[in-house]
Amino acid sequence: MTDVGGTPVLREPANRVSPQAVPFWTVSALVGDAVLVVGALLVWLLVPGVPGWAGLVVLLLALVAAAHVVLMPRIRFRVHRWEVTDTAVHTREGWIGRQTRIAPISRVQTVDSRQGAVMRLFGLASITVTTASAAGPITVDCLDADTARDVVARLTAITAATEGDAT
Amino acid sequence: MIPEPGEGFVRLSPLKLLLDPVKAVAQAVVPLVIALVGISRSDTKFWPIILPLVVLGPLVLGALPWLTTHYRLTGTQIQVRSGILNKKTSTAPLDRVRSVDLEASLLHRILGLQKVQIGTGVDDDRITLDALAAADAQALRTTLLTRRAVAEQAAPATMGRPDGLSPDQPDQPDQLAQPDGSDRPVVPAPLPAPAVPLARIDWSWLRFAPFSLGRLVLLFGGLGVLSQFADDLPIWNQETATSAWQWLTQFAVAAIVLVLSVSALALWLVVSVAGYVLQWWGFRLVREHGSLHLTSGLVTTRSITVEEAKVRGVEMTEPVLMRLVGGAELSTLATGVEDGVTQVLPPCPRGVAVAVGEAVLERPGPLIGRLVEHGPRARRRAWFRQLRNALDVIVLFAVAWWWFDLTWWWLAAIGAALLALAAAAGEASYRHLGHDLAGAHLVAGGGTFARIRTVLETDGIIGWVVSQSWWQRRAGLVDLTATTAAGTERVLVRDVRLDVAVALADRATPGLLTDFLDRV
Repeated sequence: MTDVGGTPVLREPANRVSPQAVPFWTVSALVGDAVLVVGALLVWLLVPGVPGWAGLVVLLLALVAAAHVVLMPRIRFRVHRWEVTDTAVHTREGWIGRQTRIAPISRVQTVDSRQGAVMRLFGLASITVTTASAAGPITVDCLDADTARDVVARLTAITAATEGDAT
Repeated sequence: MIPEPGEGFVRLSPLKLLLDPVKAVAQAVVPLVIALVGISRSDTKFWPIILPLVVLGPLVLGALPWLTTHYRLTGTQIQVRSGILNKKTSTAPLDRVRSVDLEASLLHRILGLQKVQIGTGVDDDRITLDALAAADAQALRTTLLTRRAVAEQAAPATMGRPDGLSPDQPDQPDQLAQPDGSDRPVVPAPLPAPAVPLARIDWSWLRFAPFSLGRLVLLFGGLGVLSQFADDLPIWNQETATSAWQWLTQFAVAAIVLVLSVSALALWLVVSVAGYVLQWWGFRLVREHGSLHLTSGLVTTRSITVEEAKVRGVEMTEPVLMRLVGGAELSTLATGVEDGVTQVLPPCPRGVAVAVGEAVLERPGPLIGRLVEHGPRARRRAWFRQLRNALDVIVLFAVAWWWFDLTWWWLAAIGAALLALAAAAGEASYRHLGHDLAGAHLVAGGGTFARIRTVLETDGIIGWVVSQSWWQRRAGLVDLTATTAAGTERVLVRDVRLDVAVALADRATPGLLTDFLDRV
């Protein structure tokens, strides 16, 4: 299965996401996990007659949640990368698994950017590039807001210049 | 008569005045009966008000669409106007017409009518003309399809800009270059290309009907409805059930089971064969005007047209039971049809499916050629995946077993059966696995029990997704997904080695990955 010029290896995309993404992901994970753990804790405290091992389960849950909050953002920051060339968009994401997505800019149909309230707090924005396939949307999470604006402008300019109905 | 290009708006067939009230009554009959029963129980003084409403309502409601719906052809467009208060005009440029489907329910056929659906490549937006006289519908279909072909050929020379239409996709640069007259009757008499028959029904194919389980769902649905009624039967109460059960246990249980299974089998034979006949009666698949044209149906006739330029590939499915008897099904993967997967063949011999598939693809090989295997690690993954699913179910059963306090051998038996099934499924799904790049086609093999082979033109690939779960990362395998606008919008090559996947993607779409590759 080798091609001319040796085995091709997919290199990682050139750019990291904004370093602000780490605190943002930490806060998001913290909020989500806290709800879960507090809920479990309340059940354990308030429901009468829960068996003794339920406390152990709650403790385990809290430990897992803490590990998630601490580790996930850091791993994710190392994994998430993106690159936009004149011909293609290339991203990598995930933290336990990995997803690499590549789409030719000539097939891009829409370019959206999104900034939630918490994201604005950290000066972040996400870009989503869609193609005509439901399986194909590419999201670059947590870019620096200024970078995001530039990338959107650049993508829109390139896609406007390409012809064809993108299917 | 359908209107000539440039003529004014015309109405749909006047027989619609008969069609719609009957349909409205049929749709309203259940709520009406319920309402009537409810009212008759409560009070009778409302009857003089309600009866005329019940009778006149459907008539008026049925007449309105006919009175308010008009359509016309211009030189470049088909326009449909409808609505009373909210007037709506749907317009489709003729060169954007991707499909013209005709459908006739039993009622339509009694009245000699057909429903016309015109697809324009925008997913959910189809123009429906319900209903035209059958001859008009055929004429309209031929006109639209031939005109589309001519319009496309003649586009650089004669096409004007479609009037009142935003050029939403930069698809037709030639049109935009000539912003001249709009409703000009273009198009000289087209040369009708001869229709090439690709397949027609062969009643020996009926042998595949019982092995195609798609209708089993319908059967269970029907049984579900019946059981609703059974609940209401007076004999079905606790006492009769108990005494019946005692009677049963005294009787030879084996004999009962035998009779039940034989009758279920017989029922299934009847239902499946009848369903096959109803759906595929008079089936023909021809290629004409650059489209695939399928007609079939005994009671409700369907006529489906798929533009070949929009067909990006085919998918051949061999469900496990059908494989026992050498049968297969074939679908085309197209863009711009609201459901991109169109089944173009009934369950039929594999050879026929392959032949038709190759005719559609216009190249021999991809449906039968050997695939590149994914190797022992992929086999381990396939086994592991199925065994893990089985374990999940076994855990559920174990909880149930603990909860209901059943005997342990139930659990053991179910567990053993599930594990054996999982092993079989794992091995089967590995054997179906594979990929190939046959010329300009990406071929992917997959499916767990059914063997599914998907062939996609590499031109139709609009991106790649390489995804790895944690387990796959440990094994160095990836799921490679080619994204596309056609069919189910993705073609999955599962559990392939990372380097093989990258090489495959690189060869399938030359240039796309170049910027991101290092050669070692």
